[in-house]
Amino acid sequence: MDIILGIRVKDSVILASSKAVTRGISVLKADDDKTRVLSDHTLMSFTGEPGDSVQFAEYIQANIQLYSIRENCELSPHAASSFIRQELAKSIRSRKPFQVNVLVGGYDTRKESPHLYQIDYLGTKVDLPYAAHGYAGFYTFSLLDHHYRPDMNTSEALKLLKMCIEELERRMPMDFKGVLVKVVDKDGVREIEDF
Amino acid sequence: MSGYDRALSIFSPDGHIFQVEYAGEAVKRGTCAVGIKGKDCVVVGCERRSTLKLQDPRITPSKISKIDSHVVLSFAGLNADSRILIEKARVEAQSHKLTLEDPVTIEYVTRYVAGVQQRYTQSGGVRPFGVSTLIAGFDPRDTTPKLYQTEPSGIYSAWSAQAIGRNSKTVREFLEKNYSKEAPPSTEQDCVKLTVKALLEVVQTGAKNIEITVVKPNSQLTNLTSEEIGKYVDEIELEKQQELDKKKKRREEN
Amino acid sequence: MSDPSSINGGVVVAMVGKDCVAIACDLRLGSQSLGVANNFEKIFHYGHVFLGLSGLATDVTTLSEVFRYKTNLYKLKEERHIEPETFTQLVSSTLYEKRFGPYFTGPVVAGINSKTGKPYIAGFDLIGCIDEAKDFVVSGTASDQLFGMCESLYEPGLEPEDLFETISQALLNAVDRDAISGWGAAVYIITKDKVVKRYLKTRQD
Repeated sequence: MDIILGIRVKDSVILASSKAVTRGISVLKADDDKTRVLSDHTLMSFTGEPGDSVQFAEYIQANIQLYSIRENCELSPHAASSFIRQELAKSIRSRKPFQVNVLVGGYDTRKESPHLYQIDYLGTKVDLPYAAHGYAGFYTFSLLDHHYRPDMNTSEALKLLKMCIEELERRMPMDFKGVLVKVVDKDGVREIEDF
Repeated sequence: MSGYDRALSIFSPDGHIFQVEYAGEAVKRGTCAVGIKGKDCVVVGCERRSTLKLQDPRITPSKISKIDSHVVLSFAGLNADSRILIEKARVEAQSHKLTLEDPVTIEYVTRYVAGVQQRYTQSGGVRPFGVSTLIAGFDPRDTTPKLYQTEPSGIYSAWSAQAIGRNSKTVREFLEKNYSKEAPPSTEQDCVKLTVKALLEVVQTGAKNIEITVVKPNSQLTNLTSEEIGKYVDEIELEKQQELDKKKKRREEN
Repeated sequence: MSDPSSINGGVVVAMVGKDCVAIACDLRLGSQSLGVANNFEKIFHYGHVFLGLSGLATDVTTLSEVFRYKTNLYKLKEERHIEPETFTQLVSSTLYEKRFGPYFTGPVVAGINSKTGKPYIAGFDLIGCIDEAKDFVVSGTASDQLFGMCESLYEPGLEPEDLFETISQALLNAVDRDAISGWGAAVYIITKDKVVKRYLKTRQD
């Protein structure tokens, strides 16, 4: 029941992920970070089978960093997301597939535009203005459908995100210990400390 | 010849492996590379083979390569062989970080590279790497500069300042005279200047054939532009000139 | 409901007219009943050959990339674009290669042979059995509805404008009776020297 949400606005992408790690009926951790920085301007958040998800995320992170060192050039968010999709699509037909769903948020420094991609464990990739995995979508998409405008700025988007989180806190049966919020824009990845 | 220089994995009766020694010759013919530890930085410099008139120096691959965000490698010897070592070192650096959740130490990459070089001296059907490397950087969460060398045989060693490749003997002697272990160059500028000065001992053509990379703690890597290197070269040349003038004056006075 | 070919939903249909062909798809991508995207196009083209792919979205993307790769190689080797008939065989053999672990898609090929000028359409099952049709082919989660619509609206020898009207009405009315298809549609009308692409407004529920 992990929550990961993403919103793309005029010049940034925001990724929010729940801070709780749960196993069965216990909360094991309340300050988890379900994101990995892939490159200066690309961030990935993930949910899924514990173990699988971190393994997969760090495998992707290592490969994308290796690429930047080899080629001395940063992979665009689009290219990074295609690579991730391909890895998941390969994985789904392997003996033991990765059960991981991810969101990729990035700022394309060449095109000067933000991008948000949703990729599920099957390798289904879509470019979306706002995205979620798991149950979070059921509660928040209607809110986002209603209030989202593509020309919003980052602070407006954070306000909208706050509405979504409040709704989730109200409706979700379990305490997810709040969310960790990170913003990706032309200056790179930064955490919003006092969300 | 004796026939002992043919197969790689065969000793000559007096205990030499000729192919490995020949690899050492290839290194001696390669362009010079220098590494110098400062108080809180490491500087790696190298001579680039003369840029031809129509060559584009901007996109011709550099002789100083990044292995991970905190490690650089420079080499002397066969350019093409070095690419294999660099590629292997890069993959190992990522793989180490992935499995151990910790970036590689400088000693670790050095041992890895030297290990690869050693393997190619002991199996059939291969030839040794005609490459010596200088590996420099800072260990994660550490502020002591590190500088290592590897050789075709697989030997590796730690240095305060070292030169490899063509005329490396001249440069090493220069360093022995001008570098003090007790008082290493205290600033980044001094360290770069000493590196450029050392290289100028053997590089005639000046700034446009020198490459310099400065490594500082916490993955701060800077590649100097040829304009920046040019400034150091001018400064050094000016000092040399002044020295010369002084001497001349003294002689005249006598 | 865990049937791979109906997780994401979606349809593709193609029709033959007089010296023209049409191919159309819906734009929905869902996860079971939840709509995820309304911009997921299922029609791709390789030179003058068009390929529609319904079914499991990950395989739709993968296959579209596989065929881009294969047709690019074909172009380099043969120094010409691939023809619809040849492409059909390529699709069939590519799918059958994965006979015992198939891609869960229902491909549809449409195009006009650039040598003979003959309109051509074909459909496939998920392991590459070719269904060469002279009138129409349908595929996807609303294929039953599409069969009904096409069977009643289609007539042979339609001009491009009338073909557009026929295929659009067939698609629109079929997806409205399927909960996991719709959310917009794209229609291609292909003649010997022109391709027209139009987006259709559909019900948004």
